[in-house]
This record gives sequence, C-alpha cells and structure tokens, in this order.
Amino acid sequence: MHALKQPAEAPTPQTAVPQPVLLEVKTATAARPRLPLTRRKLRLVQWRQPLFSAVLWLVSLACLYAVWHFGTLYRWDFYIRFTNIPTPADVFQKLLEVNRSDKFATNVGISVRRILSGFGIAILLAVPLGLVIGRYRAARDLLMPIFEVLRPIPAIAWVPMSIMLWPTNEVSIVYITFLGSFFPILLNTIHGVTGFDPVLIRAARCLGAGEGRLFWNVILPGALPQIFTGLAVGMGVAWVSLIAAEMISGQFGVGYFTWEAYSLVNYAEIALGMITIGVLGLACSGAIQFIGSLLMPWSAHSTAGRK
Amino acid sequence: MDEQRKGAIDIDRVGVTFTARGEIVEAVSSVDMHVKPGEFVSIIGPSGCGKSTLLNIVAGFVKPTSGSALFDGSPIRGPGSDRGVVFQQYSLFPWLTVRKNVEFGLKMKGTPASQRETQARTLLGLAGLLAFENHYPDQLSGGMKQRVGIVRALATSPQVLLMDEPFGALDAQTRTVMQEILTNMWQQFRISVLFVTHDIEESIFLSDRIYVMTARPGRIKAEIVVPLPRPRTPEMTYTPAFIELVQQLKALIREESLAAMGSELKDGGLSGFGIEVGPRGVEEVV
Repeated sequence: MHALKQPAEAPTPQTAVPQPVLLEVKTATAARPRLPLTRRKLRLVQWRQPLFSAVLWLVSLACLYAVWHFGTLYRWDFYIRFTNIPTPADVFQKLLEVNRSDKFATNVGISVRRILSGFGIAILLAVPLGLVIGRYRAARDLLMPIFEVLRPIPAIAWVPMSIMLWPTNEVSIVYITFLGSFFPILLNTIHGVTGFDPVLIRAARCLGAGEGRLFWNVILPGALPQIFTGLAVGMGVAWVSLIAAEMISGQFGVGYFTWEAYSLVNYAEIALGMITIGVLGLACSGAIQFIGSLLMPWSAHSTAGRK
Repeated sequence: MDEQRKGAIDIDRVGVTFTARGEIVEAVSSVDMHVKPGEFVSIIGPSGCGKSTLLNIVAGFVKPTSGSALFDGSPIRGPGSDRGVVFQQYSLFPWLTVRKNVEFGLKMKGTPASQRETQARTLLGLAGLLAFENHYPDQLSGGMKQRVGIVRALATSPQVLLMDEPFGALDAQTRTVMQEILTNMWQQFRISVLFVTHDIEESIFLSDRIYVMTARPGRIKAEIVVPLPRPRTPEMTYTPAFIELVQQLKALIREESLAAMGSELKDGGLSGFGIEVGPRGVEEVV
C-alpha cells in the first residue's frame, strides 16, 4: 500500500520469478490451406437463405388460400359462417368480368389519385413542420397545442365536417386521406429530430456547419429513418381513411365500389373490392420501402435487432 | 516558416459552474493551462474532474463562467473548423460514406467537389483507409471508425486537434496501435493537440506535457514535462524513465481518485457503519 504512495522507492525484488515459456511461434507460410468451399458450393450457400424465405412466404400465403378455398367449398358454419362467402373461382370470374368495361379501372384510378394527392400533401406539410417543431422550442410551444387537440379526432369523424368545409366532394375525400397520414408522419419526424444523437450535431458544428447547413446536411438525413417509419404508418392510415370516406360520402373509388356491391348484394364484388384494396395498400407500402432503401443505402448495413 | 505556426491555447483562471437539479455545481475552478503551437498536451485526472469540460471550453461548446479562454490570442466564441474535435463515441455520420464523412468539413467551407475528393483521398491514404473510402461507418471496426474520426477532424486543416478520450471505447491492443498511429500522424502534421484521457501510460507515451487535475472541482494539481525523445516508439514504454513517470502519475491520480471516492462514500452511507471516512481513511479501510 505505502510503496505505491512513494514512487521513489523501487519495489522489493522478488526471489523466485517464474520464467515465461515460449512454446511456439507460428509464422505465415507460403502454402495457404485451400478454401473448404468450392465456388459452386458457395453459390448454393448464398442462395439457401433467400430460397428458404421464399418457400416460407409461399407456405404462408397457401395457408390463407386454403382456409378460403375449403371454407367456401364445404360451406363451413361454426360461429364464423362461410355460407354466403364467394369462392376464389367466383372472385376470379368477377375480376375478368369487371375488366370488360373500364368502370372498375376508373374506380381504382380515382382511389390511387386520391391517395397520392392526400399523402403527397401530408408529406409536404408534415415533414418540414416536424423538423421545425422538433428543433425549435418556440415552434413546438406555438404549434403543438393545435395538433394535440386535433390529433385524437379520427379522420373518419371528420367526414361530415369535411363535406361542409370543402367546396367539392372530391376535395373533402382528399382532405380526409391527408388527415389520416398527416399525424403519423408529423409525430415520427418530430421524434426523429428530438431523438437525434447530440454528439453528431456537435461534430457537425465544429466542422463548420451553420444552422442552415446543419438542418439540411445533418438533421434531415439523420431523421430520415424515423421519417420513413412515419411514411409507412401514414400510408396505412391514409388507406383506412380513404376507404371509409369513399364508403360514406363517395362517388367512385374502390371503397365506393365495395360498399355499392354490398348494397346490391353482389358477394363476389365485395371480395374483389377488398382484395383490390389489399393489393393497392401492399403496393403503396412496398413503394415506400423501395424509395426508402434508395434514399438510405447505409441502412442496409446495420442489422439492428434482426437475427 | 515554422515560426508562424498557430494553435496556441491560453486558459487563464477559468472557472465553470452549472446548475444541476437546482444545485450549483462547480466543475472546474481557477484553471491555468497553456498549449504552445505544435505541442502535444494531455489532461489527466479522476473521472468527473472536469477534464472534458476544459476541452469543451476550447472547442466552444461550453462558456467559462469566469476567467478567459483564448485561442491564438482571440477569445473563443463558439465551435469552428479551426479546432478539430475527435469524440470518444466516434460520431461519424452514419448516412455518409467514409470519404463523404471526411469531406464534410470541406463541404461546409465551400471547397469545390473535385478538390474535396482529392484532399479526402490523400488523407485517407495516409491513414491506410483508402480501400474503405466507399464503406459506411456501420461496416467498420471501432479502431477504423476512430481513424476516420481523426482524419475527418484533420481535413479542414485545423490549428489544433482536441481529443476527448478518443481511444476510450477501444480494446487494449487496438488502443496501443492507435496511439502509435496518432504519434506518427502528429509528427507529420505538427499541429497542437489537447488530449483528454484517464489512461496514464497513454498520456505519457503521447505527450510533451501533462496536466494532472484534482477531483471536483477540478484544479491543476501538477504539470509534468515528459522528457522522452521523439519519435516515440513502443519500446520506450519499458524504459526506467517511462516507468518512473508512470509511478509518479499513478501516485498523484490515486490521491485524487480516493478523494473523489471518499466524498461519495461518505454520502453513500459508509458512515452508518461507524467508520470514519476521509480521503486518507478510505485507504486504510480498503
């Protein structure tokens, strides 16, 4: 203890110091062992994982189809009733039938147009607002009360008010769609800024970044992953809101098509409408994912929680 | 040409106090510290002694409550690219490739893209990172990330490099290699370095001069000149002169660490056992 406190004193020499024994030093030799994998085997290993994934995908979808197919085939009736449900063949038949006129295609086109405009306006407003609210306290204190009061009101509850508020039916449906996606995008963008690693902002500042450059070159790309989470959630809510709005107040659109089929007791068209909505929603979220991977090539390299 | 070199840091009677949970905390108190142009100076001390606070004053992130902090004769007003900072947590921009990270400071300066690329590639070549210029930070090891961090800080040709425990997150082997790389690079660039660490061997191996700080509130306890010749080699760490310095510094730091822990232990409830705890007392108890 005290020897340490007085560094001038040399430590007392120990009597028997065991000598370390050097057993073997391996040096790199010219002859490298051959790789255990041939090129062909390597290719097989590389493909095994995606192949396995694809098989699981098919199995999963086949199960869903099987329930529908056998449920309608044997007219299952145990609390859930398949008695009136159209068979897959009926729906496929209907798909061919509706495509003989362009009425169905027009409905699909109108729904897609409404989604794109409502969702597009939501991106243009929510992302810049979210960045500013996340960064500046004054903006947060000024704007958040409005959003916090309006946010708990579901987009569907806006339908009657929206019809009164906007000049045409079309605009009011776009407005409902916009509302549905606005809040998820806004909140995720805000979170992307407030949850930002402050060391990165420091690093940027001492590399000479002023506030403007900091915003564009650091905060925006840094918040991008979170923004895209908001876009994915927002796209889902946008479809929910759109279909509801079309069912209640609509003329045209897939939601209107589905509801009209119900009023006319056209079972196959109901199922066709539902499947169309599902496929469109899937395509939209796929598009967002694709654009996200284009804009954020770095995110492919972090495995995060994936096993 | 060597005479006009810049990178002088002059800290005079600097004190920093801040409020934390309603209490006024004195982080550093009446510190005098000077770095001459081209000098490698370390700050060492027990954890929480305010060494990072001092570095942050020079970086421009913290304003001193009292005293003056000058860089090349003018007061420090905020962060700027004339002072490069290397952080412990690497702090590379994950959305930029290695080369774009290095180019960042030059881009902020308005350097044209082609010139940025040439400069970044030259520096990356010096650090042995050219093969990784198009990798993203997530694809690199800790040691490589921190090499990129150093290269990025050097890219804007700062007059001083401020390093806040840059190798603290690395394993022991990587750390010694990084220390050698750093001395070599410093030998080439000949800019001032202010280096914060709690690793005694590291501070001796790298520095011309070492400031030892007391426990909170941090003051300068000792200023030690390292007499080892340049360039430094790993073999020097086995010389008697080196070992003697290590022992001296260890004794100094130990006193302070115990002082720091003593006050914590006293608060922590050792007194409940009827043991009287002071800076000296702990040593006898433990």
